[in-house]
Amino acid sequence: MNVQNEFFKGFIEKNPILVLGIGLCPALAVTTSISNALWMTLATTFVLICSNVIVSSIKSIVPGHVRIPIFITVIATFVTVVEIVLKAYQPDVYSSLGIFIPLIVVNCIILGRAEEFASKNGIFISIVDALGMGLGFGTTLVVLAFFRETLGANKLFGFTLLPGFKAAGMMALAPGAFITLGLMLWAMNSFKSRS
Amino acid sequence: MNEYVKPTLILAAITLCAGLLLAGVNSVTYQQIEMLNEQKEKDALAKVLPGFEITDTNTAPEGELYWSAKNSDNVKGYAFISEGPGYSGTIRVMVGVDSNLNIVGISILAQTETPGLGARCIEVQSSNTFLDVITGNLTEESDPTPWFQKQFRMLDGSRQIFISKKGDWNESIARELLENNEVSAITGATITTKAVRDIIESGIEKYRSIITE
Repeated sequence: MNVQNEFFKGFIEKNPILVLGIGLCPALAVTTSISNALWMTLATTFVLICSNVIVSSIKSIVPGHVRIPIFITVIATFVTVVEIVLKAYQPDVYSSLGIFIPLIVVNCIILGRAEEFASKNGIFISIVDALGMGLGFGTTLVVLAFFRETLGANKLFGFTLLPGFKAAGMMALAPGAFITLGLMLWAMNSFKSRS
Repeated sequence: MNEYVKPTLILAAITLCAGLLLAGVNSVTYQQIEMLNEQKEKDALAKVLPGFEITDTNTAPEGELYWSAKNSDNVKGYAFISEGPGYSGTIRVMVGVDSNLNIVGISILAQTETPGLGARCIEVQSSNTFLDVITGNLTEESDPTPWFQKQFRMLDGSRQIFISKKGDWNESIARELLENNEVSAITGATITTKAVRDIIESGIEKYRSIITE
């Protein structure tokens, strides 16, 4: 098994959002600003790494037909840890991400990696897989957020970009998210079909 | 038999571990969270009743808390929390009034309005641009109150508050708004503006008898 391949597959070849089409809910919901996208990436990657480590290390004792409840318990536990820690030490982030923190539990990327990868592979390679997938997911979120924040709010990292310029409010709303995501899907597909 | 017992025991063991981990994290952080909540309440009180000293925390007949206060001129002030439906979810507003029902200040404690539109009710107008960040020319905000909340200051809460569409609040329209007892709506979010106005008015209505007695 090639460590490098397992790491980089999350960016292009198996990009969760643009190729596998999973994790779309946070991709559409929290990409109104780059800082939200970065915090979401951090939270998701942390949960992904922890759940992959645990799932990989208990894979030999988990009975096949209760594996899904067990995986979900593991994931929900780490998501709750993230939620409590953010609430205590980053209250602003907690209030701006709101409901999308607890919703990481049902992010298909995490259960998908537990089921498809960590439950069949060793601990080290599962961490590499989680890092690659988490950062691939995060890169897509940040690119999406970059377009939405600059065009939709005329801001970058929360600071006004061009004073006096009127932002296209639609880009900050759901249609802007879908349109940007669609264009990114198109770019990704055309890139992949060429290479 | 074994095919039922073993999975049950394993699942139970894993949920036990999860419970213990969460109990541990909770016991480390709960004091911090409680402290933040108290701090938040204190900050909000300082925002809605600037220059006042909180003298009492009271309980209204319906069971909610409200605060009474006094400033250096011995004017009595009151702060209370009022909530109601916004465009997408409940908005909680803390309102500070003096004994003549003039609004001293408001602070939106919780809202889930549309980002970029209704959520601008908590947006602080920053004069800093991204260029300033790069060149290191950041200036400190003198009054970090969102403009939408600023314009409620000094309005007469005993009369109806009107809503006009004059665009973002600024110093040049402040006098005119004050004279007409009106606020300027957030562009594209008139519903949010109306909701906040209604929440404030219903709160004042509820506490009117306590405040003016």
